[in-house]
Amino acid sequence: MLKALATAMAFLAFVSASTAQEGATSRTVPEPEAVRQVVEKAVDSFIRPGYRNFHREAVELAADMDALCRTPSPTTLAVARKGFAKAARSWARIEIVRTWPAIEENRLERILFYPDRKSTGLKQVQALLANSDESATQAAGLKGKSVAMQGFGALEFVLAGTGSENLATRQGDFRCRYGRAVAQNIEEIASELVVLWDAPDGVQRHWKQPGPDNPLFRTEQEAMTALLGILVHGAEMVRDQRIETFYKGADRPAFPKQAIFWRSQNTWTMVDGNLEGLRDLVLTSELVELLPSDQHSIIGSIDFVLKSLSRVVKTLHPDVEAIVGAPAGRQKLDFVLVNGRDLINRLNDDYGSAIGLTSGFSFSDGD
Amino acid sequence: MDRRSFMRAAGIGFAATLAPRSLLALERADAVYASGFRAPDGSFGIATVSERGEIIDRTRLPARSHGMAFSRATLRLVAFARRPGTFALATDPFGTAEPVVITAPEGRHFYGHGAFSPGGSLLYASENDFDANRGMIGIYDAGDRFRRVGELEAHGIGTHDMAVSDDGSMLVIANGGIETHPDFGRAKLNLDHMEPSLVLLGARDGRLLQKHRLPTSLRQLSTRHIALAEDGRIWFACQWEGARNARPPLVGHLARGEELRFVDLPEHVTEGLANYVGAIAVNRADGIVGLTSPKGGLAVSLDARTGAVLGERPVPEAAGVAPGKQGLAVSSYGGSFNDIRSPVAWDQHIVRLG
Repeated sequence: MLKALATAMAFLAFVSASTAQEGATSRTVPEPEAVRQVVEKAVDSFIRPGYRNFHREAVELAADMDALCRTPSPTTLAVARKGFAKAARSWARIEIVRTWPAIEENRLERILFYPDRKSTGLKQVQALLANSDESATQAAGLKGKSVAMQGFGALEFVLAGTGSENLATRQGDFRCRYGRAVAQNIEEIASELVVLWDAPDGVQRHWKQPGPDNPLFRTEQEAMTALLGILVHGAEMVRDQRIETFYKGADRPAFPKQAIFWRSQNTWTMVDGNLEGLRDLVLTSELVELLPSDQHSIIGSIDFVLKSLSRVVKTLHPDVEAIVGAPAGRQKLDFVLVNGRDLINRLNDDYGSAIGLTSGFSFSDGD
Repeated sequence: MDRRSFMRAAGIGFAATLAPRSLLALERADAVYASGFRAPDGSFGIATVSERGEIIDRTRLPARSHGMAFSRATLRLVAFARRPGTFALATDPFGTAEPVVITAPEGRHFYGHGAFSPGGSLLYASENDFDANRGMIGIYDAGDRFRRVGELEAHGIGTHDMAVSDDGSMLVIANGGIETHPDFGRAKLNLDHMEPSLVLLGARDGRLLQKHRLPTSLRQLSTRHIALAEDGRIWFACQWEGARNARPPLVGHLARGEELRFVDLPEHVTEGLANYVGAIAVNRADGIVGLTSPKGGLAVSLDARTGAVLGERPVPEAAGVAPGKQGLAVSSYGGSFNDIRSPVAWDQHIVRLG
């Protein structure tokens, strides 16, 4: 025991020395009250409105699908397809919030199962359409089925996949009713998220009021780190999951049919929606307020990169196959990859260091 | 292997490659370590480090590493990519042997940890069979450029740290219980239905010797890192994925034929560790266990016999911990390694070389 105590003292001596050195290095840690204000703006001006907007669009989409099923025609089909694009875009803006409660009960995967590299979900949806499984025509019946059959990925195939032209006639009756159930299911999950975030004593309070009894965050710094995590992981999702899934660079093979929503030509609807969500979160939460005045340019640079990415994405041809097949298209994708990496680094390293995470956000996830 | 043996093994050739300051650091070091780091320019590598914390030598890596395996018998050091990375770099700490890049097979990625068999002929690596969502232990022939020669089932998901018993007969596996898939980056996909476990396997045939699941109330306690004591006792450290205001046990131990037991840490220590232990080490000679928490900014030492807390000190962004010549070596993301701060961010683990 004495020996153990003696060596423990040696350990403590080492640590004391290094601590003294660390204490000599000034680190900028934002004031707790300033963090609370930023987090409050993120919650009240971005997250909650984002879910409410998504819910509104999901309600519209379910109504569009209902109208299509009741009165199938080229016009109602076009309206439903447009409703899909609008709802998908509203989801893209808020899907960057990959934290509780969205990650609970497989909500994220049930809303959107992607990527589907082995076409597992596609095969399940095709089999369901071939077998006309009536249990899938009610939202309640969908809940027990594969997550890949419940959300936007399935609905996109219904509306834009092989055989979708039948939706304009009675011939597509089962397909339409399944699609309507999917839209209703998305609406129900959206509603759950709105309710959970709007509850005054629920997740919004956990974010806004860290403390010893808080089940999410003990300190303001923890809440701020989680908020930065939304941005870093969101930027990584755009680049690593939404682009690199089908395009990894000029010298690598491209897989345009792995791109999200390539059938309905909504790939860039999603990517631009993601970028818009990231930019909206950065600006509405006023992240800049946590930085010393001589480092405000970090947010200026992040905003510039986000705008540049969005500007280029808006010019991309909706047909992904056409983009990867043309040198000019590939150049634009290269631009998105390079600037996507730059965006990740600026959020992770520059902003992370500026608010006290010495080596950036990702490094703080010890594993 | 002590520092003198290390110097002998390194030989004149290695010493000649070092800058005078590095050579001096090596000559006066009582112990030598290796750790992954991130340089200020964003590049990654592994470095050999003296007991004081001076960097002796660096090897560049293509991406961020996590844990390391070192064979005292063959002097091979392997740095594993951080999950969901697919590379591991086998080198020697002296940088004189040709490095070998080990690539995870199709459908697998490394989880960031591994260990050598006692003679150094085999390397075991924790891996994710991600489409089947099951942890695996890959087996590599160190004598044949780390050719993959087999694999064993880890009997769990989210396999993370692992160790080999001193006699080589048993693998000790920490299944963190968290599902991840490279399609979703580092996202944790099953926090509401985790399955943590600690598993003992026969090293030769992969036979399941013991599997310890955690009770329902602790199903969100990810059993991630382990360290072996001289008597064969297995110490494990955990990360809590449940409510932040809960006070779960964070460290425990077990032995062959025994149930696992948690250490009842004082409440202020559990709070100080922020429900998250990032690394664990045992100093066998001194009979102490070291824990570090980057989230809590705390390093803690325990009596390996009783589990009693012997000491605790704040270390902002505490990273790795390893047995020292006396006591424990501790590093930080901020660049401190014992009593020296270097312009690098030290990664989560340290391995003692000599």
